[in-house]
Amino acid sequence: MTAGTLPAQPAEGHEPIPTHATGMPTPMVGMLLFIASEVMFFGGLFATYFNARASVGPDNWHPPSGTELDLPLAAVLTAILVASSFTMQFGVWAIRRGDTGKLKLWTAITLGLGILFLSGQLYDYSELGFGISDGVFGTVFYTLTGFHGAHVFGGAVGLTILLARATRGQFSAHNHVAVEAVSIYWHFVDVVWIAVFSTIYLLG
Amino acid sequence: MTDTAIGFLIVGTGMLVVLGVVFAVSSRPRPAKTRPGPPQGVHLPPPSFLPVVLSIGAALIGAGLAFRGEDQLANPFLAIPGLVIFVLGIVWWVRAANREWSEVEAGDHGSHAPPDDQPAH
Amino acid sequence: MVRSELAVPGLQLVDQDTFNQAFTMHGTIMLFLFIIPTLSGFANYIVPLQLGAPDMAFPRINALSFWLLPLGGLLIFSGYLFGGAAAEGWTSYAPLTAKEHSPGVGTDLWIIGLTLVGTASILGAVNFITTIFKMRAPGMTLFRMPIFVWTVLVTAVLILLATPVLTAGLIALFIDRNYGGSFFDPSVGGNPILWQHIFWFFGHPEVYIVILPAMGVVSEVLPVFSRKPLFGYKAFVFATIAIGLLSWTVWAHHMFTTGAVFLPFFSFMTALIAIPTGIKMFNWLGTLYRGKITLTTAMLFALGFIAMFLIGGISGVMLASPPIDFHVQDTYFVVAHLHYVFFGGAVFGVFAATYYWFPKMTGRMLNEPLGKVHFWMHFIGFNLAFFPMHQLGLSGMPRRISDYSPDSGWMYLNIVSTVGAFLIAASIIPFLINVISSLINGEPAGDDPWEGNTLEWATTSPPPPYNFDKLPPIHSERPLFFLTHGHGHAAEHPDDLEEHPVDDAEHREGLV
Repeated sequence: MTAGTLPAQPAEGHEPIPTHATGMPTPMVGMLLFIASEVMFFGGLFATYFNARASVGPDNWHPPSGTELDLPLAAVLTAILVASSFTMQFGVWAIRRGDTGKLKLWTAITLGLGILFLSGQLYDYSELGFGISDGVFGTVFYTLTGFHGAHVFGGAVGLTILLARATRGQFSAHNHVAVEAVSIYWHFVDVVWIAVFSTIYLLG
Repeated sequence: MTDTAIGFLIVGTGMLVVLGVVFAVSSRPRPAKTRPGPPQGVHLPPPSFLPVVLSIGAALIGAGLAFRGEDQLANPFLAIPGLVIFVLGIVWWVRAANREWSEVEAGDHGSHAPPDDQPAH
Repeated sequence: MVRSELAVPGLQLVDQDTFNQAFTMHGTIMLFLFIIPTLSGFANYIVPLQLGAPDMAFPRINALSFWLLPLGGLLIFSGYLFGGAAAEGWTSYAPLTAKEHSPGVGTDLWIIGLTLVGTASILGAVNFITTIFKMRAPGMTLFRMPIFVWTVLVTAVLILLATPVLTAGLIALFIDRNYGGSFFDPSVGGNPILWQHIFWFFGHPEVYIVILPAMGVVSEVLPVFSRKPLFGYKAFVFATIAIGLLSWTVWAHHMFTTGAVFLPFFSFMTALIAIPTGIKMFNWLGTLYRGKITLTTAMLFALGFIAMFLIGGISGVMLASPPIDFHVQDTYFVVAHLHYVFFGGAVFGVFAATYYWFPKMTGRMLNEPLGKVHFWMHFIGFNLAFFPMHQLGLSGMPRRISDYSPDSGWMYLNIVSTVGAFLIAASIIPFLINVISSLINGEPAGDDPWEGNTLEWATTSPPPPYNFDKLPPIHSERPLFFLTHGHGHAAEHPDDLEEHPVDDAEHREGLV
């Protein structure tokens, strides 16, 4: 079985096996695939929203009587989250130049904006006047926004880990794949929010 | 036979089988350390019990959700320990991964960091 | 338990609720805790070897995927300890699963446990796809990968995209049951059919998730034991991809009788998916044609797969037709169909994989005569158990019933079916004896007992933890074949060798 194997054979049989060190880094591939699965998860939740809306009838589709959605607050939250995507990207560009200081700054700002978003979301929940058990509108509203919020929280955890690692000097211009991975996750969370906002608040 | 008895039978047998397999596999006599290590460039992370830890944490959180009382989000006696175990597990995992990554960097290339596309943890 | 109760009319052994738990758990366990974990396990072991890679791309997340399975399974089973396991069928239709109709915590445990198991699958899918795209050995282009790897790739994409939809549905069900949600409750604006749509949008890709890896196994075993390459490698790859794509368009054929489905579209797409499947049949037959066939146990199971899956496929195409489906929906005809494709298909594939790769994984050969005893008992028992169900369904026997009237005329076929089921159970005995005794002192296997074509046979049995010390050069989808049978000319032009097969009987040692 030794005929035809790779020609150069060091004495102990320890031979470098070349790997595919080209193309997208492996952790990025993993993150993109994971995001694909999350897209399908939110797809399922959106399906419940649209199905419920179609069953009830678009003209009857509104929060329980006596309550209404807070569109201005939601718009502000949207602006906060979109801004946080920009700040995240600034951080990525910083570390691509090797600037760990700016990376920490922009990551911290992104994290702050994310926490602001979540606080605003919780405040909104407290003011709305209806709950998850108040009919199908309430159920799909809280489920869709709630799971989105949970994903923002997950992203915040990732940002915190990035901040901690950046503080310990673990990132450099050619070694920062974790930053890239968390950043596209954060952008994904932002895009989902735009879809949620458009569907719930704009489409109505 | 009542459901509970069937349940004990199934769950108990299952656990015994799993434990038995684990015991049998881990007590197999290992060949003497004559096999060469991996070729250069190949890095395998060492065995770790963190996946077990995270799984147990997730299962406890889940059980807490299932066994919730009225007006509760989840049963706190199950969910809170589960959450603690899960979070600690994540923190531990990230730190272990960082440590192994630094070792790989130091071992392979000295002060030069390897490209970002080596197999991850 | 199910077959014992159904053999003769009258509730002899269990009450209705226990019976309902039994068939619910049976379906759940077989699909989520047996067949998918087992095929994943083979894929996990074999795919890196076949790619020439040292391990999966994310080894520790791989371990997490594994450990979530027993923990999730434990949660699902633990329903038995707390007043009864889930009992609404593995498909868990609303509104039966609403809290007021199924108040026990068993259903909630089922939901949570299944969510964990689903998460394990999704993480595994990420791992497989990344490994296949990033960790192939040099020279292994996508179209030189073994067919098994291709089927695992398409399966992983299906898992990645379908399972999250199930997760969404499970969460919605949990919210309905526990937090006063209204997803599926019509009295507050919800829609029970929504559950069926969400479930089957996952559920149909799920069945291809189950069968594609088994088809991959068959496509590995047949060429080796016919001493011929797989007939039409590229066609098979494209057929697999076509099945993967089409699987998203057919889900509502499980819902024809709800009245909420656009029948012509789903019927047409379902019939269409039979075409790539049929192409694969010809791939396999073409491989066998004029091959030098050796009937090892692995080969027997692979051949059995082809025959059984053919029958299951035919009943499936029948079911694709709404006029037929309207008569046999929720009868034993469907039970016959699903067992022919899942059991006659996927499980036969699992056994073929076991007999084929056991030597590689353990370094020992399984005993062939005992394997053949297992096969024949299994094959006969399987057909006895499930063929009569076609007739039972056509004559109206519903599924998921614990009892039936003595006047129905169904008793005799049910008895035959029960005998078959017990024969299947008995066939496990020679199998277990074989596995245990071979582990203890089976014949040593060596690196390549079957004269295989793919890279897993280029390392020791079992392989070292990092899989390979050296890799052979890769210029075709059968790198090992060309390593041992063709140097120089053949290695440069592997296609030539396919058209002018070398009669290498004089080079071959006798197969076991």
